[in-house]
Amino acid sequence: MNETGVVLTDIRKSFGSLEVIHGIDLRIAEGSFVVFVGPSGCGKSTLLRMIAGLEEVTDGEIEIKGRNVTDLDPSDRGIAMVFQSYALYPHMSVRENLAFGLKMARTETAEIDARVKAASAILKIDHLLERRPGQLSGGQRQRVAIGRAIVRKPDVFLFDEPLSNLDAELRVSMRIEIARLHRELGNTMIYVTHDQTEAMTLADKIVVLRDGRIEQAGTPREVYENPANIFVAGFIGSPRMNLLDAVWLGNGCVRVAGSEMSVPVAGEGLRSGEKVTFGARPEHLFVTDGGEGRIPAKVDFAEYLGGTQYLYCQLADGQPLIAEYRSGPEINAGSTIALSVDDNQRRLFAADGRRLT
Amino acid sequence: MTLSKMNASMSLSRRRRARKAFRAESTYHATGVAIALFFLAPFAITLLASFRHGTEARLPPLPPWPASGISLDSYRSLDTFGAGVWQHTFNSLLVSLATVALTVAVSVLAGYGFSRYRFPLKNVLFVLIIATLMIPFQSILTPLFIILARLGLNNSLFGLTLVYVTLQLPFSVFMMRNAFDAVPKEIEEAARIDGARDLKLLFRVLMPLVLPGIATVAIFAFLNAWNEFLAALVLLSSNEKYTLPVLMMAVRAGRLGAVNWGAVQAGVAVMTLPCLVVFLLLQRYYMRGLMAGAVK
Repeated sequence: MNETGVVLTDIRKSFGSLEVIHGIDLRIAEGSFVVFVGPSGCGKSTLLRMIAGLEEVTDGEIEIKGRNVTDLDPSDRGIAMVFQSYALYPHMSVRENLAFGLKMARTETAEIDARVKAASAILKIDHLLERRPGQLSGGQRQRVAIGRAIVRKPDVFLFDEPLSNLDAELRVSMRIEIARLHRELGNTMIYVTHDQTEAMTLADKIVVLRDGRIEQAGTPREVYENPANIFVAGFIGSPRMNLLDAVWLGNGCVRVAGSEMSVPVAGEGLRSGEKVTFGARPEHLFVTDGGEGRIPAKVDFAEYLGGTQYLYCQLADGQPLIAEYRSGPEINAGSTIALSVDDNQRRLFAADGRRLT
Repeated sequence: MTLSKMNASMSLSRRRRARKAFRAESTYHATGVAIALFFLAPFAITLLASFRHGTEARLPPLPPWPASGISLDSYRSLDTFGAGVWQHTFNSLLVSLATVALTVAVSVLAGYGFSRYRFPLKNVLFVLIIATLMIPFQSILTPLFIILARLGLNNSLFGLTLVYVTLQLPFSVFMMRNAFDAVPKEIEEAARIDGARDLKLLFRVLMPLVLPGIATVAIFAFLNAWNEFLAALVLLSSNEKYTLPVLMMAVRAGRLGAVNWGAVQAGVAVMTLPCLVVFLLLQRYYMRGLMAGAVK
């Protein structure tokens, strides 16, 4: 891997006077799988469409493989895109759909045939080549859409929520297929989704966006374990991280819902008595006996998922909290429990949202 | 109940059900046939009546078929009106087909533009085009006549074609805009990534998707141009330029007070046929839902 895959420099996008992308800088290593996630309206699709050339860049520069493509036509950028709605040409057979881009580029017929054959073999759609898109199932259509991208032999694959239209079971198998494809082809892939599972499982690098800005970019593990701020902490992970109002007591100690607790945070610049936010993921909470540093909680509702159980609790000061409970005697709604938090997994966020270290 | 009795009652109910299905199906088809006959009868009667002998053509139209053998008398006498029926049919075909070609060409481009491009005053312009549908065309016949005269296009089939195209465009542009609006944007974007631009994009990718719209526009343009009478009568002045409706007027007016009903029937038959052909050729696009399966 080297650093010359895709480079975005101070990318901005405005619709009229409304700026929706506020200067994004991002380096995507060649051959890596990058996933843009964020709530709807965060600009992730717009950013992808700008890389594709379907949306004009208001300001900034896009480089693909060391080439400035900011003002190039979509077809000249060395990209291929897979749309959420497949966007197959309904009047053409699968073969013609795959070959269309190559025909437009005046590729030789023998070469076209070879590439179509290779792509359809990879995606196992060789038996469907003479069918029309209307005669295919959703999963098959998505394969054809991916095939149409493969035959172009692009430097970068762009996926715009490609699995959102599929049912849950198919989504899982296509997700695995896309991961396999990335391993086999080794191209750079940029993938937009709002599905966290897709983001976590597919990505080498996750880029979390909000309101047209990058909140954090890093490996799935980094983003999950060391979120840069409250937003990322709350957005990544399901169920989300518990974020509780807390008070800084100084000396690496906070008070959460009446209980004092130490945190692995130096807390430079924090004044004693300052309001902070304490964060802990449900799986880092343990049901224990009461005692020092334990948080008492009342179970409102228990969700049994087979392998695990989620306890929806209420703390002494009324704050809600979710804890994961794996084994032990059954806990029912209405019971009172005490929770301890894994020492290394306690996170603290300043009032402005940034994470304290 | 014994087993054989049960079997018997089961087969009885099955037979009853089959009989019921048969009755429902025959009613369905009989109704269909009756409606088809109802619609086809006028065509059949006209066509049959046009093959009567000259003398028979003047008699009351019962029975509605040639009683004394088939003859082409009516067509022969139709040919004696004006500059001959071939010439007028040719005029009508020329004007109608040219109207179709021009209308389709302009409305496809205009519909595409209105649907996909952003430009200033787009909606105002579109409303303006649609608004002209509200102007009765008879009221602008005089200005049209003067404009064509200034352009040196009066008494010309080309001038008449331009008038027809003008009258046809508001509806056609509206129709084509809707047709393009119905094509998902992603298909166009996929084509752009595949390297299809502008006209190539339009012809290779979008045109097949709006074919039902084009068929509708073409059918309407053809039928309206083919049947139009008033503008043709006013704007054309020489005998050999007249289109079929104008010829029919002359046939219907008769000579020296005597109307040749045989020639009228023959004329009606000649006028009906191309309309039928055009409709039968294009109706399958008219009905077809090509968009199925394009996007989810």
